[in-house]
Amino acid sequence: MVSEMTGIIEGAIFAIVALVLISFAILTVVSRDIVRAALALVLSMFTVAIVYIMLNAQFLGIVQILVYVGAIGVLILFAVMLTKKNMGSENND
Amino acid sequence: MITMSAESIDIIFNPWLRTLLGLCMIGVVFGGAMVVVWFERKLSGDIQFRLGPKYVGPFGLFQLVADAIKLMTKEDLIPSKADRLLFVSAPIALMGSVFMMLVAIPFGAVVVNGVEYPIVATEMDISLLYIEAVSSIAIIGAFMYAYSSNNKYSLLGAFRNFARMIGYEVPLGITMVSIAIMVGSLNIVEIAQAQSPIWFIFLQPLGFLVFFVALMADMGRLPFDQNESEEELVAGWITEYSGMRFGLGFFAEYIHLILGSMLVVLLFLGGWNLPAALTNITILGIFLPTVYFLLKSALVILTIIMLRWAVPRFRIDQVVDLSWKRLLPLSLLNLGWAIILGIYLGV
Repeated sequence: MVSEMTGIIEGAIFAIVALVLISFAILTVVSRDIVRAALALVLSMFTVAIVYIMLNAQFLGIVQILVYVGAIGVLILFAVMLTKKNMGSENND
Repeated sequence: MITMSAESIDIIFNPWLRTLLGLCMIGVVFGGAMVVVWFERKLSGDIQFRLGPKYVGPFGLFQLVADAIKLMTKEDLIPSKADRLLFVSAPIALMGSVFMMLVAIPFGAVVVNGVEYPIVATEMDISLLYIEAVSSIAIIGAFMYAYSSNNKYSLLGAFRNFARMIGYEVPLGITMVSIAIMVGSLNIVEIAQAQSPIWFIFLQPLGFLVFFVALMADMGRLPFDQNESEEELVAGWITEYSGMRFGLGFFAEYIHLILGSMLVVLLFLGGWNLPAALTNITILGIFLPTVYFLLKSALVILTIIMLRWAVPRFRIDQVVDLSWKRLLPLSLLNLGWAIILGIYLGV
């Protein structure tokens, strides 16, 4: 009975996390603002780390954060910052 | 000597209650950030011979109240050309990363009948790696602050922030790895306990130097606060912010300062270890290690604040040079030394 309940709760949490993950992944592709796309990518990477931790692979989850969020995400944002920015500029009213 | 019975220890120190205690300590750290703000204003005032903040109320304590009222009542401005979503969520991201770091940091220990129970919200086998991973997220929050305000000074601040963080995460990580190699564990509690006879600052003085400098840069304390530099960039990444959103960014910096100094104490300055003769006395054992640990952290904070007024700010190219040309080779040298010492000590 108790294990059944924990199973249901785990399933519910996984469903929420998976939904967040998929929506951020779609946002990465759909978003028109390049910085928002990069940030959505970073967040979906982070959610993948949560999925790993839920599957009891803590080390993999933390390395995922370290490599994909901390290193690759930061490098992508750094590169994006060098591109031309249209957001709210003077001629874009 | 009073000894507790086994059952009462089980009740008091079951893991859930200790998690709760750790979470309470996180609340204490938030109060501590306020104290550090006061401490910095007071100390800066004293060092610079200023009139002003240090005379408001007893010991300048009312300046804190005045600051808090000002932050809370200020109008919450959002620039019309700003990216509203990012502008609003940036403080959440920054504070979230700081919260995540707080979870794995032990705030001391309770010693009962010669057994140590660390006060930490979550006990992990890889907490050092976790702290390193989560501390690298903070930059994304700062980036959101800077980019969303749509201001060239903020963007310049973010550039500098990125250039600095990418440079200093590397020596910081390598020094942490050399500590982990000496201890043979990534668990920060075990690392603190391993320094029971000799502090690691004596075994790895070079490592301490590199770690301290890289940590100062990581926290953005004064010789390394190029992202803020008031004189050229008008507070850089946080220019467009006002009121409590600004306050949260400011607060996150101070909590980061507290965390960083705790990390220095945990990794190099011996953690909470006291001679067993002291901690075996029940009443002393319950609070003395924690007090000792927090006192040492306060001393490190004091040093960092005083360094702020002793060293002028570097140029950004000097900072990047220092990281890649000096600290990185030194940290690699320290890694080699740690491996040799580890083999010699037979870890």
